[in-house]
Amino acid sequence: MHRAARRIGPSIVLSTMATLALATAGCSGEAPNAGRPDLSGFWELDARVPPDPELMALIAPNTAVIDDTGAVELPLGDFGGLEVKPEALEAALAWNPEDDMTVSNACRRPSIVYATQGPFPMEIHQAEELIVFKMEYYDMVRIVFMDGRPHPGPEAPHSKTGFSTGRWEGSTLVVETTHLEPATITNNGLEHSDQVRVIERFRLSEDGNTLLSTMEFEDPQVLENRGARFIAWRKRPGEYVYPYDCDPTFAINYSEQTE
Amino acid sequence: MPRLRAFSLLPAVLVIALATATMPVLAHHSFAVFFDQEKTVTVKGKVTEFMFRNPHGVIRVEVTNPDGKKEEWRAETNSPSVLKRRGWSPRSLTVGEVITLEGWPARDGSNYMRMRKVTRENGEVVGKPFEFHED
Repeated sequence: MHRAARRIGPSIVLSTMATLALATAGCSGEAPNAGRPDLSGFWELDARVPPDPELMALIAPNTAVIDDTGAVELPLGDFGGLEVKPEALEAALAWNPEDDMTVSNACRRPSIVYATQGPFPMEIHQAEELIVFKMEYYDMVRIVFMDGRPHPGPEAPHSKTGFSTGRWEGSTLVVETTHLEPATITNNGLEHSDQVRVIERFRLSEDGNTLLSTMEFEDPQVLENRGARFIAWRKRPGEYVYPYDCDPTFAINYSEQTE
Repeated sequence: MPRLRAFSLLPAVLVIALATATMPVLAHHSFAVFFDQEKTVTVKGKVTEFMFRNPHGVIRVEVTNPDGKKEEWRAETNSPSVLKRRGWSPRSLTVGEVITLEGWPARDGSNYMRMRKVTRENGEVVGKPFEFHED
């Protein structure tokens, strides 16, 4: 069902994640979002939007672009071109999907690594020094600090939304996220560790009605290479996200079938 | 490991056929692991329960076979959050009404499916059915 992963060669790389980490924001005294594109609005995922060449050209070398955005699923044992380290691969191949269908696990949230590409909408609220992503999926709320603050030390709490900082590169918003809890990458057994680091780029289409983005991630504990996805959303004025309020008793449906 | 219950008696209204390219949207667990996207199943029965909760809704129907024997079928829906944007609400189905349920069958042959389309007795389709790669 899924299409083959594409690999991005070094010849088309214009920047690397390493250089991104050194960039700074909010140093001029001006509100960091002043004069920048306003990403605010209700955005509905649209997996039919073709990858944006401008954003795809910025993906770092040695990256597998996983082509499973939206409804597409990778089959068991297929990790979309990600090169998985032996210990993580062993765990991924031992994954039993029926273990997910228990009351304890039915509402276990993915992290933003997987949740962002899911077929659920989000609202973006852009203030002067903050950008908030209110995701419908599992009621996840992301705060992106635009004031130039550093990421906290490794002792700081990890969560499914992590700690995010952002900066503008021209009209493209670049968001770096760390402090993520381990969670699925591909919904078929492969999990990232709490060392995963995510770089996202967001930019508006010319007409402002499509939000184009790439999400890159690196996880030296789990992956030999890097992973990325292209994700796009259509603007739907006047709509809003619904509460998710996950009910874990749904899993009883699966245990009932053993009766 | 829980195994799904096999059924021995096919209800008269059950149709399993090769589908053209169809696949529902993903929500939470792996669709492909639990459901066969290459087949469709259709049953007609009386609604006994309609749960409209995330991560998936559930529709239970009582199906009467030609020999008079009754059996229960259940359909797992997409996330109610997704269904709301397709015309569904918690009041879309009423206990006791007769509906025709069409979906992708559980891989193990149990009386379980992933809902694609629901049609009332008067022919009205509830909400917008799901097609290939729709969100």
